[in-house]
Amino acid sequence: MKKWAEVALGVVTSIGGFLEVGSIATSAQGGAEFGYQLAWVLVLGTMSLAILMEMTGRLAAVSQRTYADLLRERFGYRFFLLPLVAVFVVSLLVVISEIGGVSIALQIATGIDFRWWAIPTAIVGWFLLWRGNFTIVEQGTAMLGLVAISFAVGALKLHPVWPTLGRAMLPSLPSHDRARYWYLAVSILGASISPYLYLFYSAGAIEDEWTIEHLGVNRVTAGMGNVFGGGLAIATLVTAALVLAPREIKVDRYEQIALVLATPLGRAGLVFFIMTLFITCFGATLEIVLAMAYLLAQGLGWNWSENLKPDKDARFATSYSVLILLAALPIAIGMDPLTLTNISMVATAASLPVTVIPLFVLMNDGDLLNTHVNGWPSNLALVVIALLSIVLLVAALPLQLLGGG
Amino acid sequence: MLQPASTRITHLYLALTVLLVGGGCGSPPPLDKQLETLASWTATMQLAKERHGAGAITITYATQLRDRADEAFQQASTTIGQSAQTHSDSAYAAAALDSLRTAIRQLEAEIGS
Repeated sequence: MKKWAEVALGVVTSIGGFLEVGSIATSAQGGAEFGYQLAWVLVLGTMSLAILMEMTGRLAAVSQRTYADLLRERFGYRFFLLPLVAVFVVSLLVVISEIGGVSIALQIATGIDFRWWAIPTAIVGWFLLWRGNFTIVEQGTAMLGLVAISFAVGALKLHPVWPTLGRAMLPSLPSHDRARYWYLAVSILGASISPYLYLFYSAGAIEDEWTIEHLGVNRVTAGMGNVFGGGLAIATLVTAALVLAPREIKVDRYEQIALVLATPLGRAGLVFFIMTLFITCFGATLEIVLAMAYLLAQGLGWNWSENLKPDKDARFATSYSVLILLAALPIAIGMDPLTLTNISMVATAASLPVTVIPLFVLMNDGDLLNTHVNGWPSNLALVVIALLSIVLLVAALPLQLLGGG
Repeated sequence: MLQPASTRITHLYLALTVLLVGGGCGSPPPLDKQLETLASWTATMQLAKERHGAGAITITYATQLRDRADEAFQQASTTIGQSAQTHSDSAYAAAALDSLRTAIRQLEAEIGS
């Protein structure tokens, strides 16, 4: 019974944690400009993330060490600096965007310019991290994030054309504006397969004291949670495809996205959109800041745990305190949240190889995983994801220039 | 330049990146992109008017959409002339600007601002 409760909680956490500023923005942009056509990218991204999370969760549960710990131990400190710096820079960009998302939600609700909300958001976030524990951060915000299900309700009320949507789950080439199409595809993948998601998941497995007994829970959480979470991202794309695309509205500003729920669900839709944007972005802010602090602490060998009092892991607590306040500054001085989101999603996609490729080595290390090493299907899947990550690295910059405008 | 303040600051901070990758700056977007943007904001204003009329969105939110559309209008007003090469280009540009101006006024009338 306890196991089922853990599974249910894990799945709910994954659903609530999947949608955030990047997936909302890129799915809405994709739907507005290309209808259902980019749905296959969300399917690909969701499957890739589920596989990476299952593996990093299994690695942590069996070895009793986080993925970041193992990167440093097995590849040496010099190599570890590469993923440390890459993930750190990209995650900082993403967390700035998340604070931008929270601030925009508050602006839509109150009419007060988003810039005024950045610092208060960071202070409330810092307070929760300082006084709260891992359960509050992980499960509290994820539970509230279930309000994102309103996107699925909105999509159903708009009566999507199911056969067309079904066909869009398979890759297809664009009929117009190829550079923009592939740019959005890369952005959507960056939003779906953020390294912080599986680094945080791996650290969470240690925080939750997972053992080999939890491998089943891990598999179901990573699989079902991401399938449902990816479903919500597809619902976002569908609502944009049915509300914005027929009117040829492109998403140039976050404010336009709220119309996708206000159209099928009326005033309640606007309220649900504001709540979804606020809660999911706030939850992601806390998770990313913690993931960055975990990465630093695990990489540098400091004490770390969100469940410890700050005076027991002072350097870890100082890291997240500084990071969350630092991340609020660009929004406070007026950087455009949507521009930042798009750039950070493409940068995220480009950063994937440094965390995906080493995973292949670790997942085949019998000393670490004993009988739980990857079988050939898992290895094949990981090779495909690694190749995809290399393609993203090569394509990201040219596509940012050609299709980012 | 009458770009929105937030976009201006973002572009300032991203200037180094743009320089590093050799991206072109200083030239306005192509005419077709600007016309698309104007048409998109015109449609946004029409949808916002319709949704406000149906009681689906608040005046606070509709006002923000109006402000963003106005920023897009101001930006296009200053740059679209440089992108228009022929008389017919100029006519399209003027018509697109006029449509957006009309749509903004209609939303303002709807929300009473």
